[in-house]
Amino acid sequence: MMPEKPENRVDRIVSDLLRGRRLKLRGGDAEEKEAITVAARLAAASQGPQRMSSTFRSRLAAALESPPNEGWFTRRAALVAGLGVAAGAVSGGLIGKALQPAPHAQLAGGGLINPEPGRWVDVGALSDFVAGQSKRVAAGAVGAFLFRHGDTMTAVSSICSHLPCELWWNADGGSLDCPCHPASFQPDGTPTKQAYGLPALNQVNVRVTTAGRVEVLGT
Amino acid sequence: MSPEPGPPGEEAGAVEQAGDVLELPAASRATDIALDELELVYAFIYARVGNRPDAEDLTQQVAMKAIPRLRQGAPASAIRGYLFATARSVLGAFWSTRLGLSEAELHEDLAMAVPPGPPSVESEERARRILAALSDNYRRVLELRFLHGYSLKEVASEMHSTVGAIKVMQLRALRAAAKVPPDEPGARRAQ
Repeated sequence: MMPEKPENRVDRIVSDLLRGRRLKLRGGDAEEKEAITVAARLAAASQGPQRMSSTFRSRLAAALESPPNEGWFTRRAALVAGLGVAAGAVSGGLIGKALQPAPHAQLAGGGLINPEPGRWVDVGALSDFVAGQSKRVAAGAVGAFLFRHGDTMTAVSSICSHLPCELWWNADGGSLDCPCHPASFQPDGTPTKQAYGLPALNQVNVRVTTAGRVEVLGT
Repeated sequence: MSPEPGPPGEEAGAVEQAGDVLELPAASRATDIALDELELVYAFIYARVGNRPDAEDLTQQVAMKAIPRLRQGAPASAIRGYLFATARSVLGAFWSTRLGLSEAELHEDLAMAVPPGPPSVESEERARRILAALSDNYRRVLELRFLHGYSLKEVASEMHSTVGAIKVMQLRALRAAAKVPPDEPGARRAQ
């Protein structure tokens, strides 16, 4: 197979950038690393000031706030202890002090996500869901894994209760696994047996309408 | 031993008070503060990867890596610096993974300090400086492609050339742009 010409290689990347696509680089692209990195900079500059989309901001906020405990320290407290200090510095105000670890306790988690204002989002027909399998759906800013139990459904958050990573459905193991660290959860959201305690996943409101449609309470 | 943080629900309504211990503000405000900091990180990263999906992934990685570390406490002046140091590290890993390079080979991106102003301004200023340092043809092809969003065919038509020739010129222009020194506004024209 003929190697891709460098001009074609770089134009493929430039075209992707100009379409707002992800950088899909291949091994040989390293030969043009300078051209590629400068193309990425020019593409960014040409698009003007960039801010997080409201969807991403909501997702990040949900991820930062979702699990109430992280075993030895709450994420929310970490935010306050860390970034709250930055706010104090900006306002010329307070200087923070590190908070000490909380003891290993209260790892129940599993709170119910109730977005306000929330709305019921149609995510498919009941027949689209198969018992024993899971399907990830998005209801606005709320991501969830859905499980069918006969004519009813249950749902848990798609965000790990430890670090804000998107879980994935491990069909072989029948568990929701975290790509960021060795953690996994059962379909009901409880953590599987592992070396350290984790809170359960947050529960997501889900219902089946009389018309046989599955709806998730999202944003 | 310092007092343990209470359950999250008890944080709501707390206010900042003078002293050496930061009282916990309302949770939503704390998250807003975090998001405002991460907004800067996002712009910083976007300016270097040039696309939203990658910028979002990398910003989330920064949040994941930095927030747990911040719980250990840090001087106020170091918070933003820490976030940007994390962002540089994440960017270094991104480029080295995607291009198969060592982070040492990407020293330029990794060596950047915390941007003094809004990242978008810094990014646009740098792009302007790069283009200004190029020869006319190189500048023209990059302006048409990146600033005006022309296709190769449109650029070829505009510059009275062929698509193949423009594709090669685009590559050479980008190579020349990469050689423009980052901090020298009056850099010589790159041929």
